Amino acid sequence: MTTAATNGRPTVGLFGLTGCAGDQLVVLNCEDQLLELARLLDLRDFTMAASDPDEEVPLDLAFVEGAVLSRRDEYVLRRVRERAKCLIAIGTCAVWGGVAALDRLFDRAALVRDIYGDAGAAFDTLPARALHDVVPVDYTITGCPIEADEFLAAVSQLLQGYPPAVRDTPVCAECRMNEVGCLLLDRGLPCCGAVTLGGCHARCPALGALCIGCRGPAPDANVEGTLAAFVAHGIPIEEGRRRLAVFAPLSEAVPAEVA
Amino acid sequence: MSTRITIEHLARVEGHGGATVELADGAVEAVRFDVFEGARLLEGLVRGRRYDEVAPITSRICAICSAAHTLASLTATERAFGIEPDRRIVRVRDLLLRGESIESHALHVFLLALPDYLNVPSALALAESHRDAVQLALRLKRLGNLIQETVAGRAVHPVTTVVGGFSRFPTEEALLTLRTALLAAQGDAETALELVARLPHVDVGQSPSAYAALRANGAYGYAGGQEIGIVSDGRTVAVPVSAYRSITREHTVPHSHAKHSHWNGTPFMVGALARLAVNGDLLPPAGARAMAHVGLARPFVDPLDNNRAQAVELLVDVQQALTMVEEELAAPRDAPAAAPVRVRGGSGTGAVEAPRGLLVHSYRYNEDGRLQSADVITPTAMNAASIEQRLRCAVELSPHDDPDTLRRRLEMVVRAYDPCISCAVHVLDVRRAP
Repeated sequence: MTTAATNGRPTVGLFGLTGCAGDQLVVLNCEDQLLELARLLDLRDFTMAASDPDEEVPLDLAFVEGAVLSRRDEYVLRRVRERAKCLIAIGTCAVWGGVAALDRLFDRAALVRDIYGDAGAAFDTLPARALHDVVPVDYTITGCPIEADEFLAAVSQLLQGYPPAVRDTPVCAECRMNEVGCLLLDRGLPCCGAVTLGGCHARCPALGALCIGCRGPAPDANVEGTLAAFVAHGIPIEEGRRRLAVFAPLSEAVPAEVA
Repeated sequence: MSTRITIEHLARVEGHGGATVELADGAVEAVRFDVFEGARLLEGLVRGRRYDEVAPITSRICAICSAAHTLASLTATERAFGIEPDRRIVRVRDLLLRGESIESHALHVFLLALPDYLNVPSALALAESHRDAVQLALRLKRLGNLIQETVAGRAVHPVTTVVGGFSRFPTEEALLTLRTALLAAQGDAETALELVARLPHVDVGQSPSAYAALRANGAYGYAGGQEIGIVSDGRTVAVPVSAYRSITREHTVPHSHAKHSHWNGTPFMVGALARLAVNGDLLPPAGARAMAHVGLARPFVDPLDNNRAQAVELLVDVQQALTMVEEELAAPRDAPAAAPVRVRGGSGTGAVEAPRGLLVHSYRYNEDGRLQSADVITPTAMNAASIEQRLRCAVELSPHDDPDTLRRRLEMVVRAYDPCISCAVHVLDVRRAP
């Protein structure tokens, strides 16, 4: 990453493909840092927040949220990739496909017909794909939505010419640090924290809610072991599989006889 | 001579949309509000899920309305199972919606819509010329997010909200912190109203309209109502929430295959202005004064009045959120338990007011508590027909204006509806990219 080339301020674009716009909203929710970010970054293309985008300028940093669900998304992403020195996927949809990629478990054409009727046939709609299925991605900041502190840390590291720090511990490890009792082992609930990438400070279990896997898999996630623990606590294997599949394709590859 | 005015990618709205107007010799031939957002099919993808998974997935339809989607979803599930949550749970859920509305209105009025009135491209430019206004908006936005974090554990995609109640009720300590922030924000809400009262009047055309909103229960609010009120030609009609289909998906229109919503054959508007039209009688005195101060008087005929209506709601919400927190602090220390869930087969419909208008989730469950079908009708989808009607008005006001002047009017009209296009695809047809 070269930041010095543009008077010290990198040219930056923020883009949303198909999704809920939650990751761009998290950026806009950095109220205390927003004006500082605008000072440090040369924000050229951010359609959610500003008119008159500069759609031609080469970008030092391009942050892209959302999954690829249409030919239009694919076109936009390829165009951004051509312009960007460094492309950062932000949010679980961009990194893993997210909830929209649940379409892999359904007859997609039938769903389109069901929801949109005959008009659906004319839609520009494609099966959900993560960014890396379409173009090379340099870095990822996962989460549904992303964590503001991880985003700000990544921007700060990129500004200093470093790659964003890579995290490798699961939500489970953060839960232990919070000294929260285990929802799976103690209460027999289908918590996905053991296989989900941390960085959220295990927010959901700390608030008495199940980890639903919204950040996608941790490296070396032991999916088989987690499914076995689900079964040992009375959660049927198919139910466990379904729960591990919501935000990323985690459980489908695990053989049926695991438990 | 025929002309086509196109806004290819509408900036400063959430999601991907545009607008097209076709003119022939100064007469409007066709008007389209276009949605380019890809279809995620979430209503289909939640089928077969257990009841506790449904709200966290449908929340992902839209970030800026994620609390409203969550609560519409939970209410639909609770009605299907015959669950009545505790009154304090209902109050704190309403508080969550106030937080969402404060955040969303502050973002929309000051950071997305205000640049139009002041002729600058973005809030970034505004930060140079009107730094105080931008900082004020950021403080109010932060307050809205603090309310959502306190109640729901996160500002985008709530965590603690579960079927029957909360997995963790806000603690007294957290409510005290929130109370301090709300006390400090009262002046900001007044200043925000004052800023909006002083905005120049911009003429984008006027036309009578019908308005629809969840009829509030006794006091101005965004949840808990059992009926949808529709104000049209000075008359108010009420439709039970479960009969929502009588106002949605009524008509298909020949010029587009979008499933537009109509009431008695005319488009209707939902959102802050519609809430004032339907529930204005329930406003606290400060709200009625605020309406007069920003120049809002019934019948509402100007779509840009929705921006002013949001400023009125900002003030009312900041005041009422404080009252709710104080009532909660005065309540017994022990948190109300989430209502026990006994699953059963059946249907339920939940409606709440999202910041940008009425939102309906309607579900059918099987006897194991697995979702069989889901229907989600979002405010921007309901507004689509009304947006097109007002786009036509905005051109007809003075059709021979130069394209840039026309385009600015069209953009201001669409933006005034505060459209959330991630939401809109859930009923609207999605058009092919140009």
